[in-house]
Amino acid sequence: MRRLIPFLLALPLLVGCGNRNLILTVDILSFVDPSMRSEAYGPIPSGFPNDTIEVFSDSLNLLQGVGDVTRVASASLDVAASFDNTSGAATGDFLIYFAAADSADPFTTTPIADIPFQLLAGQITNVSTHVDASPALAEVLTHDRAKVGLRVIFNGTAFPIQGTETLTKLTATVILKKDL
Amino acid sequence: MMRAVFLATLIACSGLGAATAGAQTLDARRLGMGGVLTSDVGDHQGSNIAFRAVPKGAAGSGSIPLPLGLIQYLSDHPTYDSKDSLFNVFEIANVFLNPPLTIQIVKPNVVEGDISVFVAQDSLRVDLADVKNVIPKNSMKQGGVYHIGGIGKSFGRAFFQVGPLIHLRNELTLSDELRKALRDAVPFTGNTRYGLTDEGRAQAAISFQAGYALRVLHQPSEGEKDSNDPRRNGVTALYVGGAPKYLIGIAYGSAESSGGVTTGDTLFAGSNPVTIDELTETRTSGVGGHGGLGTGFGSDVGAVFYFRNFELGLGLNDFGSQIKWKTTVRRHVYDDATNAFTTIQVAQDEEFTSRIPVTTTINVAKRIGRTTIAADVVDGDLRTMMHAGAEFWFGMIALRSGIYRDQNQMMQFTGGGGYRFGKIGLDLAIATNSRNIERERGAELSASLSLY
Repeated sequence: MRRLIPFLLALPLLVGCGNRNLILTVDILSFVDPSMRSEAYGPIPSGFPNDTIEVFSDSLNLLQGVGDVTRVASASLDVAASFDNTSGAATGDFLIYFAAADSADPFTTTPIADIPFQLLAGQITNVSTHVDASPALAEVLTHDRAKVGLRVIFNGTAFPIQGTETLTKLTATVILKKDL
Repeated sequence: MMRAVFLATLIACSGLGAATAGAQTLDARRLGMGGVLTSDVGDHQGSNIAFRAVPKGAAGSGSIPLPLGLIQYLSDHPTYDSKDSLFNVFEIANVFLNPPLTIQIVKPNVVEGDISVFVAQDSLRVDLADVKNVIPKNSMKQGGVYHIGGIGKSFGRAFFQVGPLIHLRNELTLSDELRKALRDAVPFTGNTRYGLTDEGRAQAAISFQAGYALRVLHQPSEGEKDSNDPRRNGVTALYVGGAPKYLIGIAYGSAESSGGVTTGDTLFAGSNPVTIDELTETRTSGVGGHGGLGTGFGSDVGAVFYFRNFELGLGLNDFGSQIKWKTTVRRHVYDDATNAFTTIQVAQDEEFTSRIPVTTTINVAKRIGRTTIAADVVDGDLRTMMHAGAEFWFGMIALRSGIYRDQNQMMQFTGGGGYRFGKIGLDLAIATNSRNIERERGAELSASLSLY
């Protein structure tokens, strides 16, 4: 169904022929299965100071059909997540990946965003970031399809580390210009 | 959904034509008087056949437009190169809606501004910015009855003329849900049908018309000694005219369509989230196809009454005009399951009678010395327009002002002046109008020569 989204964009594009921008805001998170938005981590015992979980990897076709008549002028991304850390402590990185659809694995590319965090036992930690004017994101969104992936890297300082990570926001804002 | 969006795109594009152009008055004298029509102002298209029998007065017998706007257009026109960053289809549309024959003093704001789209799995909101103004609040109506060119000859009170007659009509109506989504940026919702209906009709014919206009009532007045102009000599007189016409139909076509998309429980879920429905019924006939030529009759009738320099006119053009055709009827149905249209021929050589809609013109005028105060109502197929204006002469100089309600139901204001050089006069008029796709008020300067 996600392939259908971009065709709606043809409407303002065709109607809006002129020296104007099309500002497309896509709530990517809403297209992610709710069961995939949360990921339990741990327990990570001592002896494993570094651990990685991959929250999800999915394929999105957000600009299909639009690329023929538009070019991406800029792209930005808003990401937010929540860690309900029940035990242990750690620092870490919350990584967002976007890759071309023909890539086998989005995690092989350079992350679009790298959000550092610090977790303490029994605390909920919220993290967020705004990735502005990302050329890499714009490059990916120029294509018809893209893959997105989320990865969390823990650097434990107190063990066992255990909790739940929940992705709370993943919104892409793309500014398109016509290219008729 | 791709098809659905394509359909929606077509709907939106159809909106480009929503702002019907209406008549552009190139007679600056008439325009200065609010576009009003009387027996001696602006009746160059024969809106009342009885006017033919009324003696020409001193107020002019014709006009020659001066298309000064072409100079402005040549020096400053929109780009037609779609790759140019300044390319704007709305500016081009305005060229057609408002031909550059008059000088644009105040141009409407260019449709521009960023367009915003918000998409989530169960949410879609499209904010078209000022493009929303292109989508009308009500149905989009376009068309009219056009008597284009033709040749004729008068024999005293009688006349004969031959000319083409074209009738076009299209009415596109968006469902409330679709209109709100496009015009008011109301979010699309689930389990909702976003639909439209369109009714289009076009017919062309050759009109062979013979007519006669005469005075049927006359009570002399003292003023007739000085002038035979019933507009100003205080006479009581009634003039009537009638002109039956024989119509040879060249082609007829009509299409009535209804279509829409119905969303599912969730806007963007599953492989086929919307259901598309579309039904079109067409009726055609014409030269070179089944049915061939059509034949019909019609008439123009009119009357104008004068009493103490007061004028009351009633003109009915294409009164009772109709053409009989042998038509082919087809029904085109879209099947959402197979993503294909099915065409069924419902009838062939089916007799069908089309109408040419009547245009009714009612005008009133009062002359007081050299001053004229006038008003009219013109009721056509798609719209009713009203005009009112006045003309004041001071020696060789004329001052004019007027108002009118235009095709977009907006009040417009006009004013102007003129100077008479013997048998020729130069007239200028400044008038507001909304002949643009944005339906915003603009202003134009018109110039023409009057023939006295």
